Amino acid sequence: MYGKQKLKQIAENVLKFSKADQTEVLLSVSGNSLTRFANNEIHQNMAWQNLGISVRVILGKKIGVASTNSFDESSLKHVVERAAELASFQEDDPNFESLPEPLKYKTVEQDIAFATEEELARGVFTVIQKAKAAHFTASGAYANDVSEIAVANSLGIFAYHAGSSCNLSTIVIGKNSSGFAADVARTAKEVDAETVAKTAVNKTQESADPADIEPGEYEVILEPQAVSEMMAFFQWYGPNARIYHEKSSYLSDKMGQKVFGDNITLIDDPFHDLVFPMPFDYEGHPKRKIVFVEKGVLKEIAYDSYYAKRYGAENTGHALPAPNTLGPIPLHMYIEPGNMSREQMIKKVKKGLLVTRLWYVRVLNPKALNITGMTRDGTFLIEDGKIVKPVKNLRFNQSIPDALNNVVSIENKLTQLASFEGELIGLAPTLHIAKWQFSSGTLF
Amino acid sequence: MLKQAEEILSKVPSQVDYADVRIVQQDSEDIATKDGVVEALESSSSQGYNIRILKNGVWGFAASHDMSETGIDATIKKALTITEASLKHKTTDVCLDDWEAVKGTYKTPIKEDPFQVPMEEKLQLLIEADKAQRVSDKIVVSQASYQANRERKYFAATNGSRIDQEIIWTGAGIEASAVEGTEFQNRSYPNSFRGQNQTRGFELVRELDLVQHAPQVGQEAVNLLTADICPSGEFDLILDSNQLALQIHESCGHAVELDRALGYEASYAGTSFLTPEKLFEFQYGSPIVNLTADATVPGGLGTFGYDDEGVPAQRTYLVKNGIFEDYITSRDTVTKLHEINKQYNRKSNGTVRASSWSRLPMIRMTNINLEPGGEDGTGKAWKLDELIADTEYGIFMSTNRSWSIDDKRYNFQFGTEIAWEIKNGTLGRMLKNPTYQGITPQFWNSCDAICGRDEWTVWGTPNCGKGQPSQVMYTGHGASPARFRNVKIGVVKW
Repeated sequence: MYGKQKLKQIAENVLKFSKADQTEVLLSVSGNSLTRFANNEIHQNMAWQNLGISVRVILGKKIGVASTNSFDESSLKHVVERAAELASFQEDDPNFESLPEPLKYKTVEQDIAFATEEELARGVFTVIQKAKAAHFTASGAYANDVSEIAVANSLGIFAYHAGSSCNLSTIVIGKNSSGFAADVARTAKEVDAETVAKTAVNKTQESADPADIEPGEYEVILEPQAVSEMMAFFQWYGPNARIYHEKSSYLSDKMGQKVFGDNITLIDDPFHDLVFPMPFDYEGHPKRKIVFVEKGVLKEIAYDSYYAKRYGAENTGHALPAPNTLGPIPLHMYIEPGNMSREQMIKKVKKGLLVTRLWYVRVLNPKALNITGMTRDGTFLIEDGKIVKPVKNLRFNQSIPDALNNVVSIENKLTQLASFEGELIGLAPTLHIAKWQFSSGTLF
Repeated sequence: MLKQAEEILSKVPSQVDYADVRIVQQDSEDIATKDGVVEALESSSSQGYNIRILKNGVWGFAASHDMSETGIDATIKKALTITEASLKHKTTDVCLDDWEAVKGTYKTPIKEDPFQVPMEEKLQLLIEADKAQRVSDKIVVSQASYQANRERKYFAATNGSRIDQEIIWTGAGIEASAVEGTEFQNRSYPNSFRGQNQTRGFELVRELDLVQHAPQVGQEAVNLLTADICPSGEFDLILDSNQLALQIHESCGHAVELDRALGYEASYAGTSFLTPEKLFEFQYGSPIVNLTADATVPGGLGTFGYDDEGVPAQRTYLVKNGIFEDYITSRDTVTKLHEINKQYNRKSNGTVRASSWSRLPMIRMTNINLEPGGEDGTGKAWKLDELIADTEYGIFMSTNRSWSIDDKRYNFQFGTEIAWEIKNGTLGRMLKNPTYQGITPQFWNSCDAICGRDEWTVWGTPNCGKGQPSQVMYTGHGASPARFRNVKIGVVKW
């Protein structure tokens, strides 16, 4: 950890060295520990730390970016010179107007927690013991991530935020089945390894001896992990100003129109009680809660400073680190909860499948937002409102808009889901969807 | 720097079973243009080191960018603390194979250093190629990209190995997207997802001749808007080499990773249907299917001198005459395999790499190749024209658009950017939205013809993800067009 003052000093040095019209510096500090386990033993156990320094230099309307991870004076001078040199080679970007001006952002109480190697190993051991007791093998990872981010620019922005997370996830494997569970929290003390172990072991037991099942159209109960995996691609290709204005998004030209069912409200809230807050974006612009889709109607999309100025829209604080060729992307989006419990939702299914997770989801056509992928780690047949048996995994080919236009019910709570390395938390409810297209089966 | 690696190693207490130190310097240049304007122009440098310690049969790993004396001491202490935490819950000992110490150097042979080519020239080439794709107002986005990477690695191990390497790789490509109403189509050259990438210099970019190919790329994207939808059914399928490369990557390359097969990646990337008892017996493909892991192929994106455990680059048969013959391995996984399959007595075949100084080295694909027709056991060296002429009805697919495979590497589905119908041995109408699906061993057992070395290309896949924390690795895949009988085609309609 470098702390706010040290990072401010580095940022000021960078800005001092630059003679460009505008300059921006992004500092990213990471201190990570990760204990991985498989076959009921720890096999990879590691820690690493880094400080990334990325400098964006503007000469008129020419832009160059250079980065380094050394912060001695000569390295900082060199990275600024390199960024300026790259900018000088450029043609003007006629659509660029300016880096963002400083605006007050909501400060969030710092809450940093370092986990010891022993704490991580102990959590892992809890999972392994439970799996062993059930004659299963456990694999997974327990990560502790501590990060600092600071953004400064020559127009006066200086924004700083620090945060940390602990994320334990496991897949417990039986003879012909598997079960997934995870928990994420600020500190290792808050991570409930016992429940993670119990949930994964139970899923493995429940999904043993899966039956063959014919692919086709089924009702589905998608558990929160599966919902999150489906919605990831909507985050990237949906309310993204770059793709929207290229007319390559499903949402293009549909502002104010009905795009999903009445029961779908999509919110991006970086300050939600259940997420790790992010008070500003990677340009230092303040973030706020935004409703992208309200009762099925498209209300807003995500902008950063470049696309906001280009299209005369408000900057919504969705910039990624420069140079960004992906466009502005919401990182805290979720479906607003409904009014039924998971159990009530299952009772409403006549004949359908309960899906724990999706796997290897890929977009077939980004404009149509249709995706393919597999089910994984627990798929079950539901008949007349009851889970009757586990089934083998299936491949699906499904349009996301079709799914969101056929949501029967939404769970009354959100589940926290860590991103792969834990630094972001997504939120998702369980969904009951009337039609889901499964196209082929696999051998397990 | 090699001396510095030795100095760091000398600070590791002598009571360890084994230790190695890697200092890594990475430099990269990335350019992306969009609609004739440079969208991203970036130069990146990163330097750091890691210490990997094996003590009392367990690993510890720590990495840092802080190369001060106190930083190094703290990193060594961290690695040792980690071994102690693991030791308390140890169930088995890590054992290394008996690869002897290596002292060596390696440098990627290149003709033209990409970092020395004037930036103005690179920008001009990309912008010209980008603009040349805009053959119609239906092209809504035109893009061009270029990337160059240089990785200097210095390796010192307690067994006496001392290695320094410089790996350089370069890549470039173009892409056009066309839209009409709700229809969206795109075409890329020479391949999708960042073009072609090889361990070569700027000569690769010149050979690609992006500007010359750009108008055709744009025109094909436009033509696809009104092309017929790929028909559905079980048909013969000819895959172009750029698509076959990804087929190899997903259904063979990942499936033969020994760490996966032993369950070490179960929690994230999954396992493999190629379990150890299948070695030397399982009919993975038809008798003409020969797959190799070859880190020595000139220009291959997975080509190097030594892996990150100090094991020299090798060529290994993974599948020989259709039979599953070997995995890609590391020094600590082969010893596990020795215990499971007594017939297996080989040492590591040198496939361990880390994506940066801050990442743990792990088994990664090198160049996983389908050996071309006309060679030892691979059947006739077909020409693509001959192969099409020999096909009564089938589909020829090119350039990947989507890919997905289950977590044991059985059920896959691929989509490509473009396809053409083959009728009575003649290439006919263009088809849009082509997809095909299969089960890995059934698919490879249906392979009945492979084109020869003249049409064999080592395609680069620079975006292979694996491990926790995620590591994106650059791998290569040699392939020539090949035919597969009775494949499920057109599995998705939109």
